[in-house]
Parts: sequence; C-alpha cells; structure tokens
Amino acid sequence: MDPNVKCSKTDAQTWLSTALTNLDTCRAGFLDLGVKDMVLPLMSNNVSNLICNTLAINKVPFNYTPPEKDGFPSWVRPGDRKLLQSSTPRDNAVVAKDGSCNFRTIKDAINAASGSGRENNYSGSRSVGGESTTFNSATVAAVGDAFIARGITFRNTAGANNEQAVALRSGSDLSVFYQCSIGEYGSGCFDFTAVHMAWFSGQRLQEQTSGSLLAPMTKKKGEAANEESKKKSVSSAVKSQKEKPVVAKEVRSSKEEEDLLLDSGDDSYYGGDSLSGSLNSDDFESDFFDDGSDRETEGGDGEASEDELIACHDGSDDGEDGSDDEGSEGREESDSSEDEVAPRNTVGDVPLEWYKDEKHIGYDITGKKITKKEKQDKLDSFLATMDDSKNWRKIYDEYNDEEVELTKEESKLIRKMLKGEAPHADFDPYAPYVDWFNWDDDAIHPLSSAPEPKRRFIPSKWEAKKVVKYVRAIRKGLIKFEEEPNVYLLWGDDSASDQKSKHLTYIPPPKLKLPGHEESYNPPSEFIPTEKEKAAYELMYEEDRPKFIPKRFTSLRSIPAYENALKESSDRCSDLYLCPRVRKTRINIDPESLKPKLPSRKDLKPYPNSCYLEYKGHTGAVTSISPDCSGQWIASGSADGSVRIWEVETGRCLKVWQFKEPVKCVAWNPLPDFPILAVAMGQDVIILNTELGTDEEQQRIEELLRLGSLPELDESVAPIVSWHQDEGIKIRHFKNVSFVDWHPKGDYLSAVMSAGETRGVVIHQLSVHKTQRLPIKMRGLPVCTLFHPNHRGMFIIATKKNVRVFNLQKKELAIKKLQTGLREISSMAIHPGGDNLIVGSKEGKMCWFDMDLSSRPYKTLKNHPKDIRNVAFHRSYPLFASCSEDSTAYVFHGKVYSDLNENPLIVPLEILRGHSTSSSNRGVLDCKFHPRQPWLFTAGADSVIKLYCH
Amino acid sequence: MPKHYRPAGKKKEGNAARYMTRSQALKSLQVNLNLFRRLCIVKGIFPREPKKKVKGNHHTYYHVKDISFLQHEPLLEKFREIKTYLKKVQKAKAKKNEELARLLLTRQPTYKLDRLIRERYPTFIDALRDLDDCLTMVHLFAVLPASDRENLEVKRVHNCRRLSHEWQAYISRTHALRKVFVSVKGIYYQAELEGQKITWLTPHAIQQVFTNDVDFGVLLTFLEFYETLLAFINFKLYHSLNVKYPPILDSRLEALAADLYALSRYIDASSRGMTVEPKVDASSSSQSNDRAESELRLAQLQHQLPSSEPGALMHLVADKEVEEDEETRTCKSLFKDLKFFLSREVPRESLLFVLPAFGGIVSWEGEGAPFNEDDDSITHHIIDKPSAGHMYLSREYVQPQWIYDCVNARIILPTEKYLVGRVPPPHLSPFVDNEAEGYVPDYAETIKRLQAAARNDVLPLPGVGKEDLEDPQNLLYAGVMSRTEEAEAAKTKKKMAELEKQYHEELKKEVTGIEVDEEATPMVEEGEGEESVPDASQIEQDTADMPTLMMSRKKKKLYEAMKMGQKKKSESVERIKQRKKNLKADQ
Repeated sequence: MDPNVKCSKTDAQTWLSTALTNLDTCRAGFLDLGVKDMVLPLMSNNVSNLICNTLAINKVPFNYTPPEKDGFPSWVRPGDRKLLQSSTPRDNAVVAKDGSCNFRTIKDAINAASGSGRENNYSGSRSVGGESTTFNSATVAAVGDAFIARGITFRNTAGANNEQAVALRSGSDLSVFYQCSIGEYGSGCFDFTAVHMAWFSGQRLQEQTSGSLLAPMTKKKGEAANEESKKKSVSSAVKSQKEKPVVAKEVRSSKEEEDLLLDSGDDSYYGGDSLSGSLNSDDFESDFFDDGSDRETEGGDGEASEDELIACHDGSDDGEDGSDDEGSEGREESDSSEDEVAPRNTVGDVPLEWYKDEKHIGYDITGKKITKKEKQDKLDSFLATMDDSKNWRKIYDEYNDEEVELTKEESKLIRKMLKGEAPHADFDPYAPYVDWFNWDDDAIHPLSSAPEPKRRFIPSKWEAKKVVKYVRAIRKGLIKFEEEPNVYLLWGDDSASDQKSKHLTYIPPPKLKLPGHEESYNPPSEFIPTEKEKAAYELMYEEDRPKFIPKRFTSLRSIPAYENALKESSDRCSDLYLCPRVRKTRINIDPESLKPKLPSRKDLKPYPNSCYLEYKGHTGAVTSISPDCSGQWIASGSADGSVRIWEVETGRCLKVWQFKEPVKCVAWNPLPDFPILAVAMGQDVIILNTELGTDEEQQRIEELLRLGSLPELDESVAPIVSWHQDEGIKIRHFKNVSFVDWHPKGDYLSAVMSAGETRGVVIHQLSVHKTQRLPIKMRGLPVCTLFHPNHRGMFIIATKKNVRVFNLQKKELAIKKLQTGLREISSMAIHPGGDNLIVGSKEGKMCWFDMDLSSRPYKTLKNHPKDIRNVAFHRSYPLFASCSEDSTAYVFHGKVYSDLNENPLIVPLEILRGHSTSSSNRGVLDCKFHPRQPWLFTAGADSVIKLYCH
Repeated sequence: MPKHYRPAGKKKEGNAARYMTRSQALKSLQVNLNLFRRLCIVKGIFPREPKKKVKGNHHTYYHVKDISFLQHEPLLEKFREIKTYLKKVQKAKAKKNEELARLLLTRQPTYKLDRLIRERYPTFIDALRDLDDCLTMVHLFAVLPASDRENLEVKRVHNCRRLSHEWQAYISRTHALRKVFVSVKGIYYQAELEGQKITWLTPHAIQQVFTNDVDFGVLLTFLEFYETLLAFINFKLYHSLNVKYPPILDSRLEALAADLYALSRYIDASSRGMTVEPKVDASSSSQSNDRAESELRLAQLQHQLPSSEPGALMHLVADKEVEEDEETRTCKSLFKDLKFFLSREVPRESLLFVLPAFGGIVSWEGEGAPFNEDDDSITHHIIDKPSAGHMYLSREYVQPQWIYDCVNARIILPTEKYLVGRVPPPHLSPFVDNEAEGYVPDYAETIKRLQAAARNDVLPLPGVGKEDLEDPQNLLYAGVMSRTEEAEAAKTKKKMAELEKQYHEELKKEVTGIEVDEEATPMVEEGEGEESVPDASQIEQDTADMPTLMMSRKKKKLYEAMKMGQKKKSESVERIKQRKKNLKADQ
C-alpha cells in the first residue's frame, strides 16, 4: 500500500486477497498438524466464500505500475534508498556458526546489537515434516513493517526429504528485498503479507522442489524479478492469514545509518555484502551477469567505472570459488560447501593503494595485520611464466592476494563472452520458439480490444510509389521478363516472295548422301568385310581407308550409341559455312555419249592398217628412213653406222654403206632424176650417190659430187662448215648434225646442229658448193627445219618451244611464230598444201596448226603416253601419222578442205603396233609414208623396218 | 568494299573487284572472326569460288555483294551492342560487384532471327527443302546431355526435344512418313511434305558422349538458327491443321486434360465438317469405325503421358484429310486394324512415331498406356528379347525390325522370320536403287516377289475381321510361295538360255579370231617369238579409245572420271559378289 495515497481499488483487491490467503494458510496449517477434524468444521463458515465473491465483484484489471523514483518504488524512503544504493555498507556484526566470527547465531548478534557485525549467510533447518506448520517452518520470518533486506541468502536447509519448508516468510508491509537470494529445498518464499508492498530487487529464489509458493525467480534480472514478484503477489494472493508477528529481527547496520533506521521504529534492516559465498557454482554465469548489472544499478552515476573494475574482480573471484566448490563437492551439494568456505579476505572496502607500499594488505576483525604474500622478483616470475604452460590462465587477485588459475571451462566462458555469445556452453540461443499461446482454436476474441486502425482500410501510399517505380522501369525496359518464344505465321502469304531478291543467287547446300545397305544395323552378311579385309584396311593410309566399316548387331537393343555422331554433325556444319559452293549440273549420262561421233573408218579407206613387210638387216636401232620419190626404194640409217637401200616391194637390201659413226638422219633427194642421199652422222653430212639412175643421170651426179677444189666459203660460215671430197661429198660441221632436209627443188640442203644455238642451222647449196647461214637471228635451240613445199623462200624452223616461219628471200624477222604450248618439240611435218603443219612433242602430244587460221594449234592430240619421235604427212592421200617411243604409230585421217571456212577433218584411224615393246628399246624411231601408195614405213629401235599396207 | 567507294588503283571489274578474301571481309566489316562466323551462319552466307583466284589458292573468297549484305545487317549492330554490354558486366565483375553483374545480365540486349528466316527462305517450300540438316541437328541435340562446360543449357535441350516431338507429331498424324531405316548411326526417316523429300537422322536413344574435337560454338550457333526455323515451320504446319501452336502440354496432366480435350473436340468437329462431302456414300460401318477410333484416341488422350513422350503429342494433331495422294492413302492404311503392344525394351519413341504414322494403334508397357498387355484385341506384340515370358496365343510376338521392313516394303510381311528368338533377315536400306547399284541382295528379291504377290492377289484385307486375320496371311503366304516357285522356274530357264547363247558366241568368236589371225599375218616371217600380232581385244580397245583422242580435254577428264566411278562401283559390287560366293562355299 502506498502510504502517500488513500486506499485505491488495487489496494482493496490486495487486502481482500490477503485475507483469503491468510485463511488458506491457516487451513493448511491445520491440515499439517493433523487437527483438521476438529478445527475445519468450525472454519467452514461463509467467510471465504464472501471474500471470493467480493473479489469477483471488485475485478480490477491488472495494469498497476507502481510509481517509481530513481529505479525504486516511490514509497521507499530516501534514507532507505541511499542505504540500498551505497556500494558496500559496513557490517556491524559477523555471524558464523562455526565460531570463526564474532557471533554464532543471529540471535546472539541481535542481542549484541550494539556490536558491529556482518550478516553473511543464514541458514537453518526446519521444515513442516518436523511438526511445525508451513507458517512456522520459515527460516526467517519478517513481520515488522518496512523491513529491508539486502544481500542475504535465505535458505531452508531442511533438505528435500522433509516436506514443504519455507526459507523466508515475509509478513511485513513495505518491505524491501534487495540483492537477496531465496530458495533451496521447499518453497522459496512464503509471502503472506497483508500489505503487499514488498519490493524484490536483484534476488534469486532458488528452489528444487516443485511445490513452490512463489514462482522461481532465478536467472532473472533484478527488475524483471521485481515486476514478476509483484504480479504474483497480486494475482496469486489467495491465502490469507492473520497478521501475527512471530520473529522480528533487526540488525542495526552502520553507525551513520542507524538513526535513519531507528526512525522507523520497527523497521528492520539486514545489511550485508552479498559476496561470493552466497553464490552457487551452477548458476555461475547468471550470477556473473547479475552481479554486473546489479552493481551497475546499484552504483548509480558516480562510481560506475570503479564498480566495473570491482565487478570484474568479483567475477574472477566467484569463478574461483565456484570451481573450488565443484572440485570438492560437485554441483548438487554446492550449498553445503558455501557454509564451509572459510572467510576470505576481510580487508573490507578499503582502497588497496592505501597499503601499496606496506607489507600487509589490511587488518582483520581482531586488528591483526593481514600480511601480503611474498612477491617474487620479476625475473623469477617471468621464468615461472615461461615454464608454466598454464600461465596464461593465471590471474592475480589483489584483494585476496592470491593467484587464481582459471579452469578450462572458465576460460571458455570468458572467450565466449568476449565474442558476445551466450556464455554458458549448454545454452542454445536458437532454441525453437515455443508459442504457448493457442492462436488457432479458442481465439474467439481478439487479443486487443483496440479498434482497427485506419491504415488497414486505406491503400498504402508507399506501396503506390513503389508500384509506379516498377511500372516506369518496365516501360523503360530496365526490367525484363522471361518471354515465350514469339512464333507466328511467318509464311502467311507467299505473294511477297515473288519479288526477286536483290541478293546473289542462293545455292542450296547439297543434301547428305543417303545411307546404303552397308550402314544398316543388320546388313546382309556379304556386306560385312572379312577379317582379312579388315586387317588390310589397317595397313592402308588414313585417307584411303573406308570411312565406315559395316557391322552387324543381332538385335535393335544391342546397338550402341554412335560415337561419331557429334563429330559428323560438326563436320557438316563446317561444310555448310566454310566450303565454297558452286552450282554444278550433275551429268547423269552414259559416258560413252561423251565421245564425239566420228565418220566411219571404212569410208576413209585406204589407210595402212596391217603390217605387210619387215625389212631386216640392220644390227642396231634404225634411226631414220627415207623413201625415194618414185616409191621404189627406201633408204635407212642405223645406229650401227650402216646405211642401207631396200627395194620396197620385195624387201631386198640393195646396197649397204658402213660408216664408223651412228647415222642420225638420212634424206633422199626429192628430184626423181637425181637419186642421191644425204646422210647425217656425227659432225658430218655426207652426200651419197646411190648409183640407181640411168647412166646419163649417173654422169651428172658424179659431176656434181666431184669437188674440183675445196670451195671458198664466206667468212661467216667458214669457221663452222668445211667441204671435203670423200666417197661423195662430206660437209663437216663444227657441231653434231642431227637433222638434214632437202629443198623440194633438190638443190638446197638444210642441216641442223642442235648444239649450235644461233649458228645451229646452215643451208648448203649443192650446185655451187656453197654454204650459207641463216640471214636472220634465231632464238632458241633448233630441233628441225622444213622448206615450204610451195613457197620458194619460206623456211620453217622448230626450236624447242616454238615454230617460226621465215622468208629467206626477204631476210626479215620471222613472219610467223606458232605457239605450240608444248614442252619440247621433237619433230614437225607440213601438209603438202603448205598451210597446215603438225608438230610432235616429247610429252606425247601432237599439234595441228592451221597457219592461215591462227598461231595457236587448231587441235592438240594427246595420243602417245611417251615421246613422239616423228610425225609425217602423206604426199597425196589425206593421211598423217605419228610414231612414238611407246612402240606404236598412229595413223590419222587429216583432210584439209579447199574451202577456207571449213576446218580440217581429223580422224584417228589406226594404231599400228608390232615393234618390240621391250623397255630396252626405244620404240618406233621414224615413220614415213610411201610417196604414192597409202603405205607407212616405220623404223623401230628393234632394228626392224616395217611396212604397213592398206 | 562498298560500291560507291573504290580506292584509287583498285580494280573496277573482274574477279579482283567482285571477290574479296575473308580477311579483307573482316577488315571491311570491322568484326572479329567469331562474330563474322556467327553472322555468316545465321545469314546463310557462304564462300564462293571465283573463276580466277586473284589472291591465291589458299584463300577463302566471298562475294563483295554478300559482304555488303552483311554490312547492312541490323544484327551486326546488335551483336556489337551486346559485346559492349558484356564489357559492362565484366567491369562490374572485376569490381566484385556481383549484384550489379547479375542485374545487368538479366537485362542483356537480345535479338531475334525471324526476319532472317524470312529473308533466307522466302517461301515455305524453300524452308522445307533445306530442312534436312536442321532436323538432324535438332534431333541430335534433343538427346544430348546438358553440359556446363560446353555451354549447353538444359533449356535448349528441352526445347530441341519439344520441337522434334512436335515435328514428329505432325508427320505422324498427316501420314507423311515414307521410309525408315535403322542404321548404326541412328534411325533415318524420310517424309514427303509438299513434294519435298525430307530425310533426317535421329540418334539411338542412348546417352551420347561429348568428344573433344568438336567446336561447340559453331554448333550452337547453327542450333540457334535451326531451333528458330523449326519453330516457325512447326507453327506453319500446325496452322495448316487449324491447331494452336505451341501446343499446351508441358504443365501438369490434370491441368492439361481439359484443354486437350477441348482442342481435340474442336479439331474433330472441324475435320468432320470438312469431310462430310466426300464421305457421303461411306458406309455407316466405317463411320462407326471412325467413331470408335476417335473414341480410342480420346481415351488415349485422357491417359496422357508425361510431356516428354512423343505419344503425348501424337493425338494433338488431327488427321489432315483434305487432299491425300495415293501414297498417303496406302501409308495410312498399312497397319489398319492392327493393334500393337510394345514391350519394355523396344525403342518406344521411334515406334510410337512410326506405327501411328502408318495407321496402327499402339500401346506400351508402362504408365499412361492406353491399353494394357492383357488386352485381347492386340494383334502384334513387339518384343526385342531372346524369348518372351508369358505368351498370349491370340497375338504374334515379333521383333521390331518387322515393323520397319513392313513400312519400307509397304506390305504386311510374313512374320515367320521375325518371330521372337530368331535371327531376323537382313535389314535393307530403302534409299538404295538396287538395280542401278548393280547388286540386288537376296532379301530384296524376296520382298519384291512378295510385293508383286500382294499386288496381284487382291485380297480383301481391310474388310476382314480380326478372328480370321491369320487366314488371309496364310493365304497370302501360300500365294506368295506358289509365285516364288514360278518365278524361280522362269529364272532358271532364262539362265539356261543365256548360257547357251554365251557358248554360241564364244564359238563364233573363236572362228573369227582364227580368221583374223590369218588375215593379219599373210606373209610375215615370224620373228623372234615376239607377239607381233595384236590380239582381238587389243584391237577392240583401240577402236574404243580412238574417239577419245578427239575429245576436248575437259570432256576427256569428265569421261575419265565417270569411267573411274563406274569402275569403282563395279569393283565394289564384284567384291560383294565374291564375298557372297565365299560365304556360300563355306556353308
């Protein structure tokens, strides 16, 4: 009850409930004493009912908050407040059972009230079991009004085996319990105060039995405990008891406060420092915290810093104590250990610097000096610290003058606290939250009767702003959403596609080849290569090896994944974008239809087609042959150095000349009445008299072939040519002569020296025994020469690459240059008409030039695989032939039309074989047509001359 | 090089002005090679072969017009934009601002390819013509595992799968499938759409493996284009059937069922409306048959499969009964009145595609099947095991190859050779023209005879009920047997005649040969035992070769190439024949 105010509704309620509580306590007492049969009937009046009803009528919602002042209820008098706020009240008397202190019992202490003492701990053993009521079982019963307790542990040590026992019974009005610990065995606090104005602050209620009358308040902070206790005291005030002061204990505390206490007549005050002795090891951390906080609330403004320091000390001190206790007795029995702990330093609250330089730390209660421990010198202590691995756990306690070693658990605790975690190892900060209130089932009423706020009914302004922000972001495209693929009718109308695209023509990629039987998973067995073939594949080059080797699987389910699937797909893709595409028309025709339609060979007869005669007699390869113009004789020169004349139709050898050197070339004079022979061998050209004509002719020939004296030559040719008289005439050149050719008139004779370069071609005039060089400069190495059959002055020279036509009379540069495009010309022949020329080459090609048409070949035929040795035109028939080192001779039909618009007709007619094909020989070396008949002579390297007839 | 700007000294015309090498192109476009590749791939630009390679043979040449076409491509700008944007992201990442980087990546600029598709394929036919590669690729990627390393996302694989199933559903429903070939590489399908033959390859449904020698960047660029192309083509195809695209399938079954039902009802109604006129004279029985079929289809719809099954799509698309050519009709009715049941181990996806395409009704072992294994009306049970467990007498147990062979032959083949546990006859490629190839495998002959038999002996197959289904087959088979015997006899006779003829010819040749010899050597003094006289074959070859002399070089080359090809072909045929002979000799 607030003494400053008159009775309020709350007070009435409190009174009523206290009355009820008293009644109940009374009844409980009777029950305990076993006299219920006698007393209870007497008590069964309507008093309790009436009180209950009144209570029900006078229903006050509990929203009482006591007026407070500086953290204390307003009714606590300022003097008392100061007393409580002081950090360490001086004790006036110390009570200890074992007699180590001045008083054995509190009673004694009270009796000797005038002496100074200090109440540290009070415990006794009395419980209901031992024939006393709950009411009387209390260890301490506070009855007088304005009772103040500070730093006292109230404990009933009657033990768990006895029944309910009360540690503290408070029946005093306006009582203050500050930093008190209440509890252990039996109910903690039995509060039956009629005027419940008790203020509990910073106390612990300890209890281990379930039947506590006051809810346990351990591990709660001071204020919380305070509020809690008040709530309890109001709401659970169901017991009433007549106020009956039994024990009044007063401890007069410090002198200076005495008068204050005396003012309030029956005020009682228990003062004492709640030092470590009152603490239990098992609620170490809460104590630790509580202490700190308590100190702070206690300390108020001024002493905060110092208090903190002390709190630290206390903490460590407590810790040590706790560990000691634990070591000796274990957690459960810690209460008893507290009794046995010897009093520690009794210096009191004296600043230590007062004794800084002294040998003692202070005085004990009897005035004796408490000596300091002997200090180690620094070096020793340092060495000691270095040796001791546990040194880091050691702390020096100045107050108690001793070294304290922290246990592992404690250091762990400290570490945890430094980290800001919950200090106790078993404490789970994230324990699942248990919601004790049942929200779902029975909640028919709202929790709060407050009206619904307006904000629930109007749209949120901030939400609207946020929405606008998002809308803008979406419009700007800053926020995007996963869209569905937008597919629509792309080829809706194909009318637009008619317009021609401006781009290049699209060439569609070729389709892949469709698989054949061999790709089947189960191909016919003949498609699978045998083991031998597979082994052969292994030996092949990578490129030649077949890309796909057929395999056979017995069932569909046994087909494995195709390992090249990705690779092939990738190759195809590379082809699609990397390969140049060209549109090609695929020709699906019979290849035979590509062959040109040639006129029938039968219509082009006669032509030589079969071997008719062989002329044998030479021992070496026949290098050159030359039929005479009548067609009766044929001359041949051989590599064995012999020149022979054969009768064409019989094959009889008429004449033989034997020379020392191999014959290169023989040429019969084209004049019919002038049967002489030009033979080229080595560096010489020899004009031979064949002695075939009539006597008259013979005479002329002999006359011609007789050199009176060696002819005088121009100085231009003198160094390269010299004439000699031999069997006929011998013209000696400065280089080997490879080719000789007669002018159609039979007077001029051209000789070619391949190695002679610019002086390689000379022309001899037989009638005047003269020699002349070409009047023009020549390029390249000469191969062979020709006199034009119709034009007198026209002279044709074939060099290795080209053919040049000169007019000797005009002495000009070449009037025509024929570009053959061949690699190396080997021979040349001119059509008797004079406009067409064939050129044979060493790469097996033959070119037909139409000199009127172009300087390029009209036709190039690649008919021989090897060098062409010679080519020849027939003088009257439309035939020409080529012979080659591959031992064959080709006969062509080569018709030249007099109509200039018409191109010459070239038809291959026959391939003439028959000469030895052995590789040591060099095939057919020369071929010549018969002058009148469509016959062909071929001279083979196998020393045989053959005549092919139609 | 743009047309309006020509640096001094550069050619005005000719190959040098018309073509540029790739590096020139890169320079003028100011892009890197990767970007250029991507552009070329999506634009369909390929190198061209100039007549004269001005810069040398080892260069790739692009036409100037193609390059300027690329230059004006809006996509080029877009790619550049993306590139710069990615730099922004990179910057954020470098500053450890992951949040910003993530945010930026969500807002990346995107591009679309639809315009390019229209540009490259102005008409639908054009697109269909080039569809082979597209389908093969999409089908391949539909079975690939998604891979982080290769940048292949799960989403794309799923998309490929969806697209391929949509395509198959359309083909199956319109009965456009023509040929199927099971090869080692996969299964080839050929469909005919708007006169275009479209062939594609689907890999076997086995986990594919990644190989290291593949450039996935290029592949994925192609795939990107192909995905878009196939989506548009599918849209067009579904549109032509009046079916909504994309089909709503991928959500839960229950959620879909109503939708599908409504859709199928709608399709049914529209298709019935269309077909009323031509079907006026159709008998009521066929009508009821149709009804029953549609009912069944509905039943199948109700038991929808998970969306990944192609079967789920099959029933979406209604029959396209507008104009059907002869072939489509035969394809449609090939498996009519046959009911198939697929065993667990057969390739279900393929058969679920093929069987409905040829008019069969199909169910399978597993969840969502339209009917169960114990259904009495099942006529064929497809099984790929060495032996079947419990066998129903009312149905035939055949290997899956039978279906593919039937499809290719277009007749119901006798099942004797394909029964469970037997080694099936060889599976032949339907893409080969045996006559042109020069070698006809035995089984191809057999099939040909069976086909002829089926054509001649017109058996009223469709009208026959199920109970006497065995009989017509037996009948058919008997007919076939008699016909084969006949054919065999004719063949032997022909062979005999040929032999006789050959003998006569040889005789004649011998006689003439002697004559020739006599003619050729009338008065030759026989020399040193040398073969001076060319034999007849040599002469023949000479006369054959003679005209080739007169051919132009180009033609000659062509001729030679063709000859070489022919020779190769004939050689391979010879080899096969030889092998066959050897095998026969071994047996």
